[in-house]
Amino acid sequence: MKEIFNDILAMEDVQGVVFSSLEGEIFFMEPPIEIDRSLPLFIRALGGIREADLIFEKSRIYVRKTETGYLVILLGLFASGAMLRLHVDMALPSLKERGKGKGLRSLFRRNK
Amino acid sequence: MVKKVLIVDDDQDMLLSLEEGLSEYDETFSILTAEDGLGAVDELKNNTISLVVTDLKMPRMDGFSLLSHIMEHYPEIPVVIITGYSTSEMERLAREGGAIGYIAKPFMIDDLAKRVITALRKEADGGTLHSVSSGIFLQLMEMEAKTCTVRLVEKSSGKQGILFFLEGQLLDARCDSLRGEAAAYEIFSWDDVSLSIQNACPQRERRIHRDLQAILLDAMVVKDELKRLGKGASPRKKEPAPSKEKVERMQPVERVKELLKREVGEGYGIEDIYEDNTWESFVKGIGRLGMAFKAGEFRVAYVDRGDSKDFILLPGESVTVVSVNPRCARDRIMEALSEESGFAGFDGSILSHERNL
Repeated sequence: MKEIFNDILAMEDVQGVVFSSLEGEIFFMEPPIEIDRSLPLFIRALGGIREADLIFEKSRIYVRKTETGYLVILLGLFASGAMLRLHVDMALPSLKERGKGKGLRSLFRRNK
Repeated sequence: MVKKVLIVDDDQDMLLSLEEGLSEYDETFSILTAEDGLGAVDELKNNTISLVVTDLKMPRMDGFSLLSHIMEHYPEIPVVIITGYSTSEMERLAREGGAIGYIAKPFMIDDLAKRVITALRKEADGGTLHSVSSGIFLQLMEMEAKTCTVRLVEKSSGKQGILFFLEGQLLDARCDSLRGEAAAYEIFSWDDVSLSIQNACPQRERRIHRDLQAILLDAMVVKDELKRLGKGASPRKKEPAPSKEKVERMQPVERVKELLKREVGEGYGIEDIYEDNTWESFVKGIGRLGMAFKAGEFRVAYVDRGDSKDFILLPGESVTVVSVNPRCARDRIMEALSEESGFAGFDGSILSHERNL
């Protein structure tokens, strides 16, 4: 799973990647980030979006809805948006491919 | 192609006189300066340097340490040592360390200039080309299995980059602070370049593992994306910012209009700006997400719902919405809004209110 996100994680100023199911269950998180336990609810509350780029006082959060879940990327304020979107576009086919047939639950190790 | 020469010396007077004395060669090379080895390391990271002239005795990081750093990280950059404490042992150590020249102080500036120019000529011993497309040329390098160092300058911006080929394989690239594939993407997105070829590739470490064709193709995608976002547009003369008092008197929608007109300009895919509190619960959700990630106060969001329009949301007493064409200059608009959002009064008050409940 991690290899799908290697290019994203290697980008300058990318601080973490979280991939959750459409229901908010976290499948992948790298590096392990200390986050609020209610994160799945918050992700689910963003339902209806295809993509969102959220800028906060200290960092940015990029959210992308995929066929199989939500990709949430935590960034510093200076990460390149265009390059990030390119890497995400490139990662999406692999995510889709990995999700085919076997069911996501069997593929993704759940971080606790 | 004007090269950049970095002069490193802790003696300010020496730096100034060298800068002034070498300024008559500014059609051949320009001068950057640093006051010690650590300053030089920063300059090397952020610029494409062609040659380094350095003193030996300096605080924080001396000339030998700098020489060693250059040989390890920038082996293609020639180094000339200048020192006021010259001994034959020091000269031997400097040459063994990789320095191509060793000059004892005091020296004539013209003598240093000659050494610099002679060394710089080697950068182009394989020839120079002007107004070429980097993509086609680099594919030729690959086809002919060339071993060379290619230095490129983008004509419109003056940006410089460097590519290392070993038997036709692209080993590494560098452009300002970028290295490896990221630098290659940047360089391959340039349309009109001048380039010089050095028939040697001192770099041996491989940082690029992908095929040249694949990188060229991806670079085209990034380039199209940046064009779409308006990054390639020529710099626009900004209107002066209004006074803080005047801004404070404006309504949020007026503030955003004024800001975008000033910072982004007319057009760029902005369709409408208005207040719309139907977004309030969504904005609260964003605020909670930010809290979950300890990201601080929410400033601005770009939201794509797959509709014909995308939306930029700014929190406040009411939610200010900028509706945009999905092909708008997204990053430019977001950058302007996020930089100015605190000043413009978008203080996340909806979220502050929620936190107080």
